[in-house]
Amino acid sequence: MTQVETHLTEEERQAFADDSMSPEQRSSAEAHLAACESCAHDVARLTTLMKRIHETPAPTAPLDELWPTIRARIEQSKVVPLAAGAGTGDGGRGAGEPVHRAIVGRRARWFASIGVLAAAAILAIVVQMRSPANRAAAISGADTNEAAFIAVVDSAHAYEAEAKVLLDKLELQRAMLRPDAAKALEHDLHVVDVAIAELKDAVARDPNNPALRQLLATSYRQKVDLLKRITNAS
Amino acid sequence: MSARVRGSTDVMATTTDDAGGIDDVVRRAQRGDVEAFESLYRTHAAAIYALCRRMTGDEGESRDLVQDVFVRAWERLTSFRGQSSLGTWLHRLGVNVVLERIRSTKRDAARLIEGDDSTFGSHSSAPAIDASIDLDAALVHLPRGARTVFVLHDIEGYSHDEIALMTGIAAGTARAQLWRARRALMRLLER
Repeated sequence: MTQVETHLTEEERQAFADDSMSPEQRSSAEAHLAACESCAHDVARLTTLMKRIHETPAPTAPLDELWPTIRARIEQSKVVPLAAGAGTGDGGRGAGEPVHRAIVGRRARWFASIGVLAAAAILAIVVQMRSPANRAAAISGADTNEAAFIAVVDSAHAYEAEAKVLLDKLELQRAMLRPDAAKALEHDLHVVDVAIAELKDAVARDPNNPALRQLLATSYRQKVDLLKRITNAS
Repeated sequence: MSARVRGSTDVMATTTDDAGGIDDVVRRAQRGDVEAFESLYRTHAAAIYALCRRMTGDEGESRDLVQDVFVRAWERLTSFRGQSSLGTWLHRLGVNVVLERIRSTKRDAARLIEGDDSTFGSHSSAPAIDASIDLDAALVHLPRGARTVFVLHDIEGYSHDEIALMTGIAAGTARAQLWRARRALMRLLER
């Protein structure tokens, strides 16, 4: 590369310009550029471009005016917020947890989480039914309850739609599951569905109870996560 | 000359505390506090807009995409666990939303996969350009696939491997697209 008659390749020119060469490669390229006017001119143009790229300020626009629309969309399709840690990953697509894990290990965790979920649901319902404060609030705040109930119903619809898509996908993959795995999956889904049904009843009675709403959202998310993991694994 | 810090702004770490945890505003937003989420929007919207604007080359589409990114962020915010800054998390989400939009257009999806050989260096396809054309104006004249790779690599700082994963094209193809995009930009900006 130090020979003048052997010009830098396109890869070398680009790498020199964007500073992605190793020190050894760069040193060799510099020796060539010192002797080759043609390559030096081309690399200088590329380097100027790179400098310009990094010096150009980011485009801007008035963005405050977008917020009301975003807020309206959030309110319109309101999804009950989940507790931190109930999600499936950290980031958008591609930033989630690895898909390929041993299904056995996941199943053990699922049995545990589903058991906790069902117990929590029952406990929450009992607490909610026995709470005089909640009953009083439910009577005196009928309008507020109705609005909250509508929001919860909207959220439920969103989750159920997502679960239906996954269930349809799983139906196609069911033949690939071992019989015992398919049976266990049916059981898990049944447990989650029972918990969801009980929590929906409880939320209908006390829509402003954040603990109940949180539990309902968590149980929906558990179901969606379970379906996602099974469909991914199979 | 290293690639610009991803997200092109200094706000990336403002919503994650020094210990790598999640700060109070993010936690409140995760619990459904829309006012807290509005605060996050006002902190990060400019960086997301810049990303969308450069990837699409269209102001109106970019504004739509900013809305889509933040609605998606609201829906998925509980999955943010503070392993990266919220700015980085939002930025990756933004890239995905823009790429989904691009893929939804069949013509552009084909361009992403096949490269842009047919339109690269075609002076007849480039409209008349002012002598004082700036970088963002020049970007508009790149084919969308090339513009995507260029923005993700040279402006946002993603590696070729990361770009390959995000776009579905081979890393080598991404590299070749980048080189050709730089050459095209060089010609446009030197006019």
